[in-house]
Amino acid sequence: MIEMDIWSQLLGGFATAGTPINLLWAFIGCALGTAVGVLPGIGPAVAVAMLLPITSQVDMTASMIFFAGIYYGAMYGGSTTSILLNTPGETGSMVTAMEGNKMAKNGRAGAALATAAIGSFVAGTIATVLVTLFAPVMANFAVKLGPPEYFCLMLLAFTTVSSVLGKSTLRGLTALFLGLAAGLIGMDQITGQVRYTGGVTELMDGIEIVLVAVGLFAVAEALHAVLFEGRTVETQNPMSQVHMSRGEWRRSWPAWLRGTLLGFPFGTIPAGGTEIPTYLSYGLERKLSRHQEEFGTIGAIEGVAGPEAANNAAVTGTLVPLLTLGIPTSTTAAILLGAFQNYGIQPGPQLFETSSTLVWALIASLYIGNVMLLILNLPLVGLWVKLLKIPKPQLYAGILIFATVGVYGMRQSSFDLLLLYGIGVLGVVLRRFDIPSAPVIVGMILGPLAEAQLRNALSIGEGHWSIFVQRPMSLGLLGVVLTVLVLPQVLAHWGRKRA
Amino acid sequence: MQNSSRSTTLQTLIALGALGVAGVLAWGAVQIPSAAGYSGVGPAFLPWLVASVLALCGVLLLLQARRGGFRDVEPPSGADRGDWRSFAWLAAGLLFNATLIEHAGFILSCALCYALAVRGLRLSEGQATPLPRMGQDLLTGVVIAAPVYWLFTQVLAVNLPGLTSTGWF
Repeated sequence: MIEMDIWSQLLGGFATAGTPINLLWAFIGCALGTAVGVLPGIGPAVAVAMLLPITSQVDMTASMIFFAGIYYGAMYGGSTTSILLNTPGETGSMVTAMEGNKMAKNGRAGAALATAAIGSFVAGTIATVLVTLFAPVMANFAVKLGPPEYFCLMLLAFTTVSSVLGKSTLRGLTALFLGLAAGLIGMDQITGQVRYTGGVTELMDGIEIVLVAVGLFAVAEALHAVLFEGRTVETQNPMSQVHMSRGEWRRSWPAWLRGTLLGFPFGTIPAGGTEIPTYLSYGLERKLSRHQEEFGTIGAIEGVAGPEAANNAAVTGTLVPLLTLGIPTSTTAAILLGAFQNYGIQPGPQLFETSSTLVWALIASLYIGNVMLLILNLPLVGLWVKLLKIPKPQLYAGILIFATVGVYGMRQSSFDLLLLYGIGVLGVVLRRFDIPSAPVIVGMILGPLAEAQLRNALSIGEGHWSIFVQRPMSLGLLGVVLTVLVLPQVLAHWGRKRA
Repeated sequence: MQNSSRSTTLQTLIALGALGVAGVLAWGAVQIPSAAGYSGVGPAFLPWLVASVLALCGVLLLLQARRGGFRDVEPPSGADRGDWRSFAWLAAGLLFNATLIEHAGFILSCALCYALAVRGLRLSEGQATPLPRMGQDLLTGVVIAAPVYWLFTQVLAVNLPGLTSTGWF
C-alpha cells in the first residue's frame, strides 16, 4: 500500500524534475559541482554558500535540484584531483587518494578514474533507491518524535562531529563550542532577547552561516596558500585511456557494492560525514583482497572502488536526516538547510506532506544527476583535467572575488567583508593547530535549533530535566551519546594496555 | 627549526584565546536578564553553558600546551614558517576591497584585490613580479569581476555597488 504510493510519488517527481528547465538546472549544478570538486581551494559547501543569493530569484524546486547537483557533483570531481595530483604533505585523511594516486603513478590513471566514476554512479544510484524507500518510512516515524528526542538527536550530532572525527576530542569540542558561541550572537528565537551584539546593529540578525563557511573554507584556503604553500611543488600524473579491463571490472564491482552498503547507513545516522565509512571500506577491501601486494605499492583497484562508493553512498545518505529530521550531518548539508530556510521551509517529518512535490522532484533529480555525472566524468574527464592547469595565484585570487560577491551580496555591508577576512584568519589558525572546522559550522547552525528544542522539551517537562530520561527514545539516544563520547577513550586505553 | 604549530608558546596562546572567548561570553551572559519563565531555562542558560564548557576546554588545552604540547597533532601541510611578506600583499588586497567597494564600485575594487592577491601569491612561489604584470592582472581581475557583477545585478537582482548607477559598471 505504502509502496505503491512511493512509486507514484516518485513518478510525479520525475515529471517535475524532467522538465527542460529543471534538467538544465540539474546539469549546470552537476557540471559546476564537478568543477569545484576538481579545483583545489573550494568545495561544495563554499560553492553552495556563495550561490545562496539565487534563492531570491529562482524557483525553489529548481534551486534545490541545482544545489543537490553541486553537492554530489563535487564528490565525483574530488576523486579526479586526488588520483591525478600529487600534493606532498597531504595527510592520509583522503583514503581514496592513497590507492588511486599510486595507480596513476604507475600509469593506470585511466582505470582508477573509471572505477571511481562508475563506482560513484553505482553507489549513488543504489543509495538513491534506498533514500526513496527509506526516507518516507523515516519521516513517518519521525512525526512521533517530540522536542526531547530531537534535542537528543542534535546532541548526538554534536558529539559525533566533534569527537569521532578528528584526532582529539578536546580540540573537536573546543571547535564545536566556538560554533555554538557564534550561533548565540543576535536575537534569541524564543524570547527575542538580544545577545552578544555589543551594540553593533549588523549583528542583530546574527552572523550569517554563509559568511562563516566561506571564511573558514575559501578565504582560509587562500591565506594558507600564500603563507605556507608557496614552495610546495605539485606534480600531475600522466593520463591514460579511461578504460577498465575485464579483470578490473571483476575486482571492482564487489568492492562497489560493499562500499555502498557500508557508506549508506553511516550517512543516514547523525554520525557525521563520510570519513568513517570510507576508512572502514578501505580497511575491508585491503583485508579481503587477493592482491595484497598491490596495496600501497602499485595501487590496488579495490582500494579505489570501495572507498569511492562508500563516500558517494554516505553523501546521498546524509539527505535522509536532512529531509526527514531537519538535522544536517555534513557541512554542505548544513548549508543546504540554510537554503531551505531561505524559502521559509524548515525540513522535518512534515516536509514529505507539506512539500511533497519538492521532495520527490529532488529525489528524482538524484537519479538523473547520477547519469549526467557518469557522462560528465567518464567520456569528458579530459575537460576537467584541464582545470588542474590553472596556476595557483590566479585560482586563489579568483576565489577571493567569488567569496567577496557571495558574502557582500547578502547584506551589502563592508562590515561583513572585514568579518569574512577575519574568519579566514581564524580558519588558518584552526588548520595550523589541527583544530577541525566542521564542528564550528555544525555548532553554529544546529545550536539555535537545539536550544529551541531544549527549551520546548523543558516546557513539556514543566521545567524538570527528568523529561529526558523518562521517555524511552530520548533515554536510549542519551545512552548512544554517552557511548560515542566514552567508547573511543576506553578502546584507546585498552589498546595501550595491550601494547 | 621547530615547526610553528608544535611551538608550545603558540599553543599556549591558542588556549588563552579559548579562555578569552569564554570570558567574553561569561561577561556578556551576566548582562542577559534571566527571566527563566515556565520552562525553567531562559535566554541566559545556553550562554552560561557555552562559556563554562569553553572555559573548561581552554584550561585543558592550556594544561596540554604546558605539558609537552597538544596531543596527537597532525602536522599541517606546507612550510613550517609563514611567508609574511607575501601575506601582506594579499591582506592589503582584502583590506582595500573592504574599504573601497562602496566608493570605487564592485568591479574595480575586486580587480584591485585580485591583482594584489595574485602578486602576493606569485611572490610566495618565488616568481618575479614586475609592475607591468600587475597591470595585466588588473585587467584579468576586471574580466573575472565584470561578468560576476552582471550576473548578480542583472540576473539575480542582487544590489552590488557600482561606480555608476546603471548596474553595468
